[in-house]
Amino acid sequence: MIEFLEAAIRIATPLMLAALGGILSERAGVFAVGLEGMMLMGAFGGAVGAWATGSALAGLALAIVCGAAIGLVVAIVAVGYRADHMVTGLTANILAAGLTAYLMRVLSGGGRPIAIHLTPLPPWPIPGLAQIPMVGPLLFVHPPLTYLAILGCFALAFFLGRTQAGLTLRAAGESPETVLASGAEPLRVRMLAVTACGGIAGIGGAVLSLQQVGTFTDGMTSGRGYLALASLIVARWNPFAAAIACLAFGAAEAFELRMEEFGLPVSSYIVQMAPYLIALAVLAVLGRASRMPAAIGQPLPWDQ
Amino acid sequence: MTALLEMRGIVRTFGAVRANDGVDLTLDGGEILGLLGENGSGKSTLMKVLFGLVAPDAGSIVLRGQPLVGHRPAGAMARGVAMIHQHFMLVDAMTVVENVMLGWPEAGRILRRREMAKRVREESLRYGLGLDPDALIADLPLGRRQRVEILKAVLRDAELLILDEPTSNLAPSEVAELLSILRRLRAEGKGIVFITHKLPEVLEVCDRVVVLRLGRVAGRARVGDVTRADLATMMVGRDVTTPHAPRIAPQGAIRLSVDRLAGRSLGPLSFEIRAGEVLGVAGVDGNGQLELVETLAGLRPASEGSIRLDGHELTRLAVAERVGAGLAYMPADRGQTALVKSMSVAENLMLRDSRRSPFASGAFLSSASIAREANALMRAYDIRAPAPETSAARLSGGNQQKIVVARELDRKPAALVAHQPAWGLDPGATRFVIDQTLALREAGAAILYVSSELEEVLDISDRIAVMADGRFLGIRPRAEADLAEIGLWMSGRAA
Amino acid sequence: MTEAVPPDLRTSAPRIASLRLATGEGIALRIVVAVILSLVSSAALVALSGHNPLAAFVALAKGAAGSPHQIGVALNRATPYLLAGSGVAFCFRAGVINIGAEGQIAVGGLGAAAVALHWPHFAPWLVVPASLIGAALFGALWSGIAAAIHLGRRVHEVLVTLLLNFVGLLLVQEALAGPLGQFGAGFLQSPLMPRGAWLWKLPGLDAHIGFIFALVAAAALSVTLWRTPFGFAIRVAGRSRHAAAYAGFSISRLTWAAMLLSGALAGLAGGVEVLGIHHRLIEGFSLGFGFKAVTVALLGAVEPLAVAPAALFVGLLEAGSLSMQRQIGVPSALVVVIEGLTMLFILAATVRRA
Repeated sequence: MIEFLEAAIRIATPLMLAALGGILSERAGVFAVGLEGMMLMGAFGGAVGAWATGSALAGLALAIVCGAAIGLVVAIVAVGYRADHMVTGLTANILAAGLTAYLMRVLSGGGRPIAIHLTPLPPWPIPGLAQIPMVGPLLFVHPPLTYLAILGCFALAFFLGRTQAGLTLRAAGESPETVLASGAEPLRVRMLAVTACGGIAGIGGAVLSLQQVGTFTDGMTSGRGYLALASLIVARWNPFAAAIACLAFGAAEAFELRMEEFGLPVSSYIVQMAPYLIALAVLAVLGRASRMPAAIGQPLPWDQ
Repeated sequence: MTALLEMRGIVRTFGAVRANDGVDLTLDGGEILGLLGENGSGKSTLMKVLFGLVAPDAGSIVLRGQPLVGHRPAGAMARGVAMIHQHFMLVDAMTVVENVMLGWPEAGRILRRREMAKRVREESLRYGLGLDPDALIADLPLGRRQRVEILKAVLRDAELLILDEPTSNLAPSEVAELLSILRRLRAEGKGIVFITHKLPEVLEVCDRVVVLRLGRVAGRARVGDVTRADLATMMVGRDVTTPHAPRIAPQGAIRLSVDRLAGRSLGPLSFEIRAGEVLGVAGVDGNGQLELVETLAGLRPASEGSIRLDGHELTRLAVAERVGAGLAYMPADRGQTALVKSMSVAENLMLRDSRRSPFASGAFLSSASIAREANALMRAYDIRAPAPETSAARLSGGNQQKIVVARELDRKPAALVAHQPAWGLDPGATRFVIDQTLALREAGAAILYVSSELEEVLDISDRIAVMADGRFLGIRPRAEADLAEIGLWMSGRAA
Repeated sequence: MTEAVPPDLRTSAPRIASLRLATGEGIALRIVVAVILSLVSSAALVALSGHNPLAAFVALAKGAAGSPHQIGVALNRATPYLLAGSGVAFCFRAGVINIGAEGQIAVGGLGAAAVALHWPHFAPWLVVPASLIGAALFGALWSGIAAAIHLGRRVHEVLVTLLLNFVGLLLVQEALAGPLGQFGAGFLQSPLMPRGAWLWKLPGLDAHIGFIFALVAAAALSVTLWRTPFGFAIRVAGRSRHAAAYAGFSISRLTWAAMLLSGALAGLAGGVEVLGIHHRLIEGFSLGFGFKAVTVALLGAVEPLAVAPAALFVGLLEAGSLSMQRQIGVPSALVVVIEGLTMLFILAATVRRA
């Protein structure tokens, strides 16, 4: 059971990070449909960075840069040029898929993708806490990026609720005119938020390549970015609720992986549908998302 | 003694329009200056220039002896200038204290929420604002939201407050409270610019007044030295006190009959309108007017009651069927509802009739007929546009409203429901709308004319109803209309 | 100031932004400039890899249109984009952002395979039409589910269609693992279809007739949009929900119509792929088509007829990509980069400056 929960947390980690980044973007007023591409770029950056330098830290740094780069592209087109957020995000995902596949093959010089074989990051048990019976192995023996994700929840909640910058960001998603009248520039706020979203989602991607699989394969995010988007909306744009939602999805996938052990006669594919169906069900029950950021998706007027 | 504010020679052009054409203005501390003018006179632009929302093409601003140049709102606020907008710059989903802290460096990078809440309570007490720091803006009535704006200004040590049409959404009792708050601010030495087009308020609270017309200063005076008529003449440039000839009360048959109509935030209310009669509905915006007109038009469901037009029961009919039954509707929201601005003039003219001839024959639209009809309507109603295919967005506000008028009135409706038909129009366009409405009246239609401008309602109506909290508080023939009684009715909703 | 609306009437945004595209003057020019910009950036990427950009583009072009066979391949590649894309474009015009083409194409292919593999032996000439109808029906069913949830429970259609994509893909896998699968094959696929169920080919080219269907569908949608009262209602609904209600149109009926139509077209695209290219249902046959169709719809400025050149452009690119990789050594993934860049530049270029 402990291993099951541990697995759920592990699987949820990349989702959580992507969701945190997505919350930043959406609460500033920009739909985070591009999370998939941002994660993919991060996964790519993480793997390639670690492969090129031998340092996981360098990989992490490159992951953030790559994720932020595609975030910047979305920021320029969707916020700067006032293009539709959804379509820009989808297009960015396509670009990311192509770019990562292309660069993997170009960097090897030989037309085949670079052969990257990294050791996945090992867990870092926290001394003292890891020894607590039951809770210890569950919560305190995780690889570093998982701790980062958990800390990230707290950090994001603090940022949004207790800082001037977070207040301004939330206001940009609710009422950009008010932000302008208060002396800040909604354009800058939104662009920064989307770029930061890219960087953070990039870390989520790095979790996949650095911490879980140890390499990069084309399209390895397989829709996780979209699932993270669904989870943050189901969670009403709240960091802690999003973490719980991601955990639920992680548990669903962990369950599916362990199904052979349990020997249930349910098809693997049906079980894989579970996260998406759960998300749909929750959304349907919630109905109209009443407390969506009021100005989300609305382009800024041209004189702001 | 240097004046608090000196603006000299301000010029600002928008496209072909000279919004400000060399305007001078001065203001001292401890003084309330009225800035008077009609729509389009340039008063809002002038203040936007002062506040830094818009940059002037020419001219200078000197604040307490120091020039104010090339600034944005942040710069203006740092120099002690605060602007309270007509449409409040507040975040509905946040609390009072969060709105106060937004963009205010003194609240800290890490927000000192408790300290700020304390200050909100203190200042609120000092100026009689009655604000609770943890109240959600969305839950506050409009009058109170305005006070949050004033509180923001006061907390930021504003010396100069600009109020842009502050009373346009307030009930008379709320207006009285606002004016007394302004007097307290003046007593503390603040300078206040009070932008409005309402003469009585200027005479009541201002010390001096500057009148703008078509971008220029048309007159300056001390309030004690001028009469209302003087100001009106300065504002409009001609003698405006010609009253309408009184009309004989119409005796035609009842055409539109509404019986105990109720819905969300509406009613129950009942009224009847006869052929050739205009029933005007006055009242502060937000008291159920939108609910009433939309329920009549079929855009909202009624929970009870009935609507009958010439004996036909409309209550269960859909919008298209009501149009077919002879009910015309001119919505207040010109840009998003009455018109599709990004579509052509011709398409807007056929917006409500696209499935019927002459526009459609069978399953297809007939572009020849559409063009023909459009040209005919454009000629008949003097809609100034290069061609029927021109996008409606390129037309002036007045011409856009002409499209709406042409479309709704040309089908010779049995009844017309008009909501704020003259909103935002210059005097010429307003005249056109009123003339067309009166012509329809002469033709025997029943007209419901809903507007928040009391003068306009008094001008055009045969009978006047006042709406508050979703109901009619009373209906009076125009000849018997008593302004005091009407004012009392309009404040029927508690502040 | 004169355009200000009374405060209580300013509409809060019940609709998330429908596309505000510029139309008319200069848009063709701006699209061309966007394409050129993306080609230039792609050339830079090619140079980065040490190859000659010009040679790469020439190989790409030759691979795309160098021979009737190649052109046929390009037409085949363009077909699903055109079919699904014109449907999506129609939805966009109605103000509905339907990104469920991925799932609808997959489910459509499932429908076609189900019909084709179980068709009784009499009336063999009916297999193809029946299978295509089956594909369209399945696709419409899938988008219909999305429409029901969206309209019934007021969930944003982007989310519903997005999530249903993955469910649809998994449904196909489930079907291939079960009733439609071919036992003993190493991977998920259905048995090969009988010859009678293969989509007919265009004479001379190596393309199947799917492209003709696609052109006809796009033209029909365009005519509907611009020349019928129904199309007028769709366009009004896409510009302003309030105006559409005021004009007497039923938003929910229009949304249903748009969603069912586009779902049917996407399903048809899936059926065409299954019957015309693979001649069996294969796992993952539809991957990427749906999302690309959304962006192809955009390339065509959400005008169904203009989606044709856009779909052709993408089809040509993808047809030539393998050839480019083989001859010059530039990875075929470059083509995806070109597509992405082109769409981003076009997005930036075509926003209406209201």
